[in-house]
Amino acid sequence: MPPKNQTQRIDELLGGVTEELLLGNPQQFEDNSIRVERLLLEMVRPDPVQPRRVLPEQLHFAFHSNRLTPTQALKELVQLVQVAARQRGRPFNNVLELLPNPDDESDEDQSVHLSPEEQLLYDLVNLAITIRDDGQVNPLTVVDVSQGVTQQFRIETGERRYWATWLLRDFIAGYNSDGMIPCIIIPIERSSVFRQAKENTARSGLSAIAMARQAALLVLTVHGYEIPSHAVSNDFYRQSLELDLRGKREYTEAVLSAMGGIDKGRFRQYKSLLQLSDEALEIADRHAIDEFRLRPVLQLPYDVQTEMVQQIIQFNLTGRQVQEICERGLREDDNEHTETSSPQVKRFVKSMKAINSNDEEDFVRGLISEEKTATMARARIDTTIEFLMRVKSRLTGE
Amino acid sequence: MTRVFVFTNHKGGVGKSTSATNTALGIAGMLRRAGAPNSRVLLIDTDSQAHATLVTTGKKDYGTDDSLYTVLMADRQNAAQTLLNCIVQSTWDTDLHVLPASPMLEGAERELMGIAGAPYRLADPLSRIINRYAAIVIDTRPSFSLMTEMGLIAATDAIVPVEPRYLETVGLMSVIGKINDIREGWRQPNLRVSGILVTKMNTRIRGHNHLLDELKTHSVLGKLLLGVVPANEAVSYAHQNHQSIFNYDSKASASKAYAQFVGKLVQRIAKGGA
Repeated sequence: MPPKNQTQRIDELLGGVTEELLLGNPQQFEDNSIRVERLLLEMVRPDPVQPRRVLPEQLHFAFHSNRLTPTQALKELVQLVQVAARQRGRPFNNVLELLPNPDDESDEDQSVHLSPEEQLLYDLVNLAITIRDDGQVNPLTVVDVSQGVTQQFRIETGERRYWATWLLRDFIAGYNSDGMIPCIIIPIERSSVFRQAKENTARSGLSAIAMARQAALLVLTVHGYEIPSHAVSNDFYRQSLELDLRGKREYTEAVLSAMGGIDKGRFRQYKSLLQLSDEALEIADRHAIDEFRLRPVLQLPYDVQTEMVQQIIQFNLTGRQVQEICERGLREDDNEHTETSSPQVKRFVKSMKAINSNDEEDFVRGLISEEKTATMARARIDTTIEFLMRVKSRLTGE
Repeated sequence: MTRVFVFTNHKGGVGKSTSATNTALGIAGMLRRAGAPNSRVLLIDTDSQAHATLVTTGKKDYGTDDSLYTVLMADRQNAAQTLLNCIVQSTWDTDLHVLPASPMLEGAERELMGIAGAPYRLADPLSRIINRYAAIVIDTRPSFSLMTEMGLIAATDAIVPVEPRYLETVGLMSVIGKINDIREGWRQPNLRVSGILVTKMNTRIRGHNHLLDELKTHSVLGKLLLGVVPANEAVSYAHQNHQSIFNYDSKASASKAYAQFVGKLVQRIAKGGA
């Protein structure tokens, strides 16, 4: 690099000419508008902290730590799906075989339950075919994050279209592309977590876990945490569990509106889902389980959360059923460890603690109203005293 | 549309590399000063002597896997990505990027000869990343070889640097005719002869003045004259020290002439017109 004084001299020289040439039209370069361009596919990368994940977690991390190229990541995904499909008795060799055969009418009424990975690949292949036949109608939204000679664009929205284009390029025979993808380029200064959140929540299909991650990103941002540019573990998002919007009133409205106009309570409910174990989070995200069904699972100990989530999927449990199972499970769990008293005993013991001498009048009135006559009330007190004396003598023994 | 300026003349020593390198730096600097949203400029060195590469990057030992040679030899599908991977940052300015030349380019011409689509091996991948740059400057070798044709096919504006002693109308017209042949032959309607840059002008030599006056009054060539760079020792010393003329001596008459010339190109970039 040239020394500073030299740079100044160049600037002076070029500056003189610049002023001359821009005379009368000083605004001609000031174009910071959003542009639509066709970009080389390799220059575009998905956002590693995007709450809405497309690839399964393991592939997501391998891809974002540059251990896999996009083609390799897709190859791994296809292999993963091939194994799952073979286990379900519907093996395939070519991804196009995933699509229903239009000539085969026997399958018409048969609804096949696909695993999340199968569903993902099926959706990507479908999208790829649409792109092949009709072209890429909606451009991706990307942020220009180029630095030096490294030209790169981070996807804000459209990660599925990105993967579908790779699939089309490398896995679907007979397709000739120029390797470009249409993108709306947002200047880096206009990009923000809030913008991304609005884009995400405006679209349907954001899983409860993705909403939880989204909520966490917003909370962390308003608290000044730096959002990393590499893939992060769930612990990064969990930092938000200790934070809330109380100290950041000026941002509350913006955060809630970015989350799709939900209220504070709902926001907290989503964020709380990050208390789930890593495995439970991953499974719940992959199967897009809603928040209501996941909420009771939070009461369970860490080590059984995954099992509960798996049961939700396996038996397609409703929220109420999940709640009942979790509560019963907890009760039984408690019974195993401590012999609990009956509810009426619990209530009596608690009221003994709460009552004091000032309640005497109140007690008399309550007793007469319950027993109807003073005689009956006295008899009740006698039996109670006897009972309490017996209890006392037992306590002495213990 | 990003303008691609190619500096070409089949005569050697007329200042192609010096003009290409200083112009590329000048455009980047001037666009930045003008507040342009994108001031990145890519300099592509297609000359196997790699002078432009050496002065702008400080090294010339680029080879089979990090130079223009790599791009030309890459699979068609991967060529654009290879191009991106081979681009390096100039030591002159952060906004000046360089696609380095390599002595291997000499052999590349032979290797590519007869391969279908060979003349488009630069234009094709370049067209996929072109929007990333505000302007592209291509330095060519002193001959109308395959490599020069590749540069011209990828370009929008051909600029002919010429020494006054070669300013005869006939000679210049032959260069322009050759560029037109490529434009017509390869169906490149975007390519046009955009200007003539007179270099090494010595006003004390009567012949120089005479030939320059003749050029100015010529009905076609006169309109193409974009700048006159005086013969100046600073230019040679700057080149020798691997510095730009603006860095070496910003007050030198050649620096001012190049700045004026660059100004005219930037005006075209800004207006997007002729």
